[in-house]
Parts: sequence; structure tokens; C-alpha cells
Amino acid sequence: MKIKHQLAIFNALTRLLVILVLWLMLPVLVEKVVYKHINKTLRERKQNFIEHLDREEINDFIVRNDTAETYASYSTLHNEFLQLSRLPQKTVTNKTLFITEPRVIEEEENDYRILQYQFRYENSSYLLEIGSSLSEIKELTFTIRLFILIVLVMILMVTFLMDTFYIEYLLKPFYRIIDTKIRRVNEPETFDHTPINSHSADFEELDTVLNQMMDRISELFKKEKQFIANVSHELLTPIALLKNKFENLIQNESLDDNAIDKIAGALRTLDMLKKVINNLLLISRIDNNQYEANETVDLQDLLDNLLEDLTDRIEEKNLKVGLNLQNRILFTGNKTLIHILLYNLIVNAIKYNKENGTIAIEDGFSEKQYFLSVRDSGIGMAEMQLEQIFSRFTRISSDTDGQGLGLAIAASIAHFHHISINVTSAPETGTTFTLLFPEKIN
Amino acid sequence: MNILIVEDHEELASEVIDYLSKNGYVCKWARNCEEALEEVSVNDFDALLLDLGLPDGSGFEILKSVRRKQSNMAVIIITARGELDDRINGLQLGADDYLTKPFALTELGARLYAIIRRMHGFTLNELDIHGFSLQLQDYKVSYGGIPVNLTKKEFDIFQYLVLNKNRVITRLQLTEHIWGDILEVNSDSNFIDVHVRNLRKKLDKHTSLEWFETVRNVGYRINV
Repeated sequence: MKIKHQLAIFNALTRLLVILVLWLMLPVLVEKVVYKHINKTLRERKQNFIEHLDREEINDFIVRNDTAETYASYSTLHNEFLQLSRLPQKTVTNKTLFITEPRVIEEEENDYRILQYQFRYENSSYLLEIGSSLSEIKELTFTIRLFILIVLVMILMVTFLMDTFYIEYLLKPFYRIIDTKIRRVNEPETFDHTPINSHSADFEELDTVLNQMMDRISELFKKEKQFIANVSHELLTPIALLKNKFENLIQNESLDDNAIDKIAGALRTLDMLKKVINNLLLISRIDNNQYEANETVDLQDLLDNLLEDLTDRIEEKNLKVGLNLQNRILFTGNKTLIHILLYNLIVNAIKYNKENGTIAIEDGFSEKQYFLSVRDSGIGMAEMQLEQIFSRFTRISSDTDGQGLGLAIAASIAHFHHISINVTSAPETGTTFTLLFPEKIN
Repeated sequence: MNILIVEDHEELASEVIDYLSKNGYVCKWARNCEEALEEVSVNDFDALLLDLGLPDGSGFEILKSVRRKQSNMAVIIITARGELDDRINGLQLGADDYLTKPFALTELGARLYAIIRRMHGFTLNELDIHGFSLQLQDYKVSYGGIPVNLTKKEFDIFQYLVLNKNRVITRLQLTEHIWGDILEVNSDSNFIDVHVRNLRKKLDKHTSLEWFETVRNVGYRINV
């Protein structure tokens, strides 16, 4: 999940939580406010009633209904009532109480907020109750809750949208940095140093730090390239010199056979040294992207030439080579490198083949992907060996020549061209190397 | 015959390489000064085809470096039309010949042969060796007017040994000059011997070959 979505969802959830708490607390709050207001009104009424109280009035109240010893008056809509009753006991609390309870007035039950007040008047105890109906208040609370709910949900939605857009806007430079500074950069040379405009200091910092990091990397890259060039010069020049010296030395007529053998041995060692260095340099150059891959390679053409060059070695083992390509493929890559890749695979197929064996070079499409395979009828490999054939200095059998760099180079070249190499092999039956080319090929 | 082509113009280079490869040369291509300097310091070439105008420096640097090594590489410089100073400068620095752009590929071929044979002390394109006559440009060998049928590789080996007469040429050297700079380690296999054996068989039909020596396990020498 992207950070903009996470942030928007987090904001929405916290807002939702706040709204939920508010909404749950609302009835309690409203009740408190409403009760306070009602209490005040009731107190005023009571004050009014007590102030104007006299014997006559009490009698007036009580006499009308002697049996019940109570007097009550209601407003017509039953939203208010006043009730006075005589109390049997002599002592009264003289305190004002507020209670909320249901009362039935003229067969209609309603919740009332009731003020109760006990008082003595001319040796009699009385209880005064003044009530105010709560039904209207309840309706009002419900309406307020509904209204507030709608408003809150709307706020929630609007802020969620605003959040999303604003976060998106804020994060835009971030995605631009990822896209232009990281994803599209394959080599330090192609790095774009133009600063990305941003309204947040954080991204500006990120951009600067990335630029600095890239500068350091390209510096290292340059150094590595320089190092490779130096190594090749510093190591290979003396080898070339020594080789020349030995070749001149061998011309000397006075040398005995023993000396000639030794010089020949030295020359062979020098040659091996030179080739190992060249091979390692080749690998590190490929891995360093020092080759360009913009040439058109005709595989059929390349294989024809390769097989012609290798005729001697094929004839030496009396091998039968079947070159049978169904498709004329033009691949964009580095011609020299593809040549080396195929050369190494075919030489491998020759080297580890049996006398009178066969090599089959075939192609085709597997799920739209073009493949080229080289199959030999050679000594094959066990599964254990298969795993390490592409690592440097591994060779299949210990008694054969070679320093085992051929397949490591093949792997590097294939990787450079986004080609994948598959190997299948069975001991004593043979090995098949398959090159799976990337899809955009014609 | 190994030849290094130093040329930054890709199309021209591939044209030259195409032509020379068909004529029996093993070609290597350097696009710029840097690559060229590395190649000449590391490998032995028989000839160098050098364009003087390179993107990262002047071809004169390469020429100087080659001549400093006192190598007997044949060097042909390629200059743009009219640059007289460059040609003179180049020849003074040790170039053997020059060509001005644009040039015919056949002229390049002819000049290369001429320089290489002169370099090895021959004055004619037809080399005479113990009664055999080698026509460098036509890949033909004859003995007293009778043509000797050699394969391309056999001819290349024969020619290389003749040009380097009286010198022991190791199998490694022969392999490198005939097949080029093979990356494969220990490629010094006996298939070179197969070719030499066949060559000797064909030559032996005409005359005795005591001048065509096998030097122990090391290489071959043609004595004159």
C-alpha cells in the first residue's frame, strides 16, 4: 500500500473515532445543558409560588379535593404541572430536590423533570411538586443528533478527499525522484542531476543526498574502469615483452633441446596467463557495462562463421554438427560479445563431446520467447556439477584443458543482454544449453 | 596475418574489416586512442591501419608508442584529403605508407601486401622458396609452373612461415596469426599440426623438404 493511501486512511480513521466519541457523548451533554435550563425555570416558578403563598390559596388548592389532600394544576398540553399535597409528618427538610420520573396525567404517561420542595406553613407540612415535560426535549435531541451525524459524515468525506489530494500533491516530488533518479538510471553516466522541484524540505534533501550518492558511485565507477585499464596495461605489457624475448631467444641455434623445451613451456605459461587475464578483464568489463549493445546481430550468419572457424576441432573429434535454425533472427546487442557467447557454448560442446558424437543447434519459440539451444552428446554432468558450472574456474572434468572461465563469461554476456541461460544435462548422455532471448526480438 | 584497424567511423571500419577478413587477415578493431594503445601494448600485430583523426586524441600518439617499442609492425596511416603536413609528419614518425580518404579497398590490400613483403625482405609479390612460388595476393602456390592445391589455412601457414623465414615460429604464434586472438585458454591444440602435416604432404610430392623443419615440440621453421 502506498504511503498516500496509508496516510489518508489513517487520517480518516482518527477523524471517524473523534466523531464517534462526540456522537456518543452528545446525549449526555445535551441532557446536562437541558436539565440545567429546566431546573432554573422550575426554581423560578417555585420562588414565584412560595412568595405569593397564603392560607387562602392553600385552602383553595386543598379544599377542592379534600380526600386526596392534594392539589394539581396542569397546562392543557400536559407539558407542565404543579401539585401541592399535605404531608403527614411534622418535620420537613426544607430542601429543593430535582428528579426525573414518569408521571401519568389524565391517562397520559410522560417523562417529567420534577422539582420537589417540602415546607411548613402554619403548622402543616406540604410537598410542592412542579414538573416540566421532557418529551419535546427528547425529540429535539434526536433531531440534533441526526443533524450532527450528517454534518460529521460530510466533513469526514470532504476532509478525506482533501487529504488524499494534498498528500498526493506533497508526495509528487517523491515519486518523481524515484522515477527519474533511481528507476531509470542503469549507469551512473546517464544520471540526471537537475534538481526536482519540491515544496517540502525533506524531498529536497532526499534529492540532494541522492545526487551526492550518485556522484560518489560514478566516481567509484570511473575508478574501477581506470583500474581495469591499468591492470590490463600493467600486467599484459610485461607479458607481451616477455613473450617477445622468449620468441627471440628460441631462435638461438646454440640452445640444446632441454633449453628449447623449457622456453616453450614458459611461452605456454605466458600465453595461459595472458588469456586468463584477458578473460577476467572481459568479465569485469561486461559486468561494468563497458560494452555497447546497439549492433544488429544475425544469429544464422554468426553461427555459420563460427562453425567454419571451428571446423578443425570438429573434424578432429569427427563430430556431426546439425545447424538447423527455423527463424531468421536479428538481435540487437553487442556482436563481439554474442560471438564469444556462442563460441564458448559450442567449444564447450566440442570439448566435452565423445569421439564421433553429435552437436545439434536448434531454435524456436517457447511462449513467445525466442530460444536457441546447443545440445551435445558428450559426457554430461551430474546435478551437483550443474549448479556451479557458471562460477569462475570450475571445470567439468579434471583431466581436460581449460581454466573454466568460458561459461562464466557466457553467463556474464547473457546477463548483459538480458538473455537467460538454462542447462539440462545427464551424465554420459549429454548437455543442452538453452539461451532464452528477451521478448522484444524480431 | 593479424591486423589492427584504428578507425572511429564505424561504417568505414566494418567495410575495411569485411574486405580484409575475406583476404585472409585476422582483424581487430579499435574505435579510439585508448583502445588502440591498449591493443598495441598487449598484442602482436603484423600491420596497423591507423586513422589519424580520432575522437580522444591524435593517431600520432599511437604511432609513437608503436615505434618506441621498436616493433616491426607495418603501419599505414589514413588521412583526410589534402592534409599534407599530417602525411609528412606520419611518415617521419615511422609510418610505412599512407592512404587518403576516400580510398579503394583494393588499393589498401595491394599496399598492405607490398609493405609486408618488403618488411620481410622480399621485393616481389611472388615469393620464391626452394622452387615453390607463392602469389601473395592470389593465394596460389606453384612448383615449376605446376599448381599446388592448398587450402586457405595451409596457404596462410605456409605464407607466414615463408615471410618469417629462418625463424622458429611457435605453434602458439601460428595459432594466433591464423585464428586470431582466441580467448580460450590452452587453445594450443594439435589441430595446427594437422594442417602443417597436410601442407608438408602436399609439398613433399614435388621436392624434398629438409628446409621445412619441425623444431621439437615447439614449432616450425623454414630455412632459406
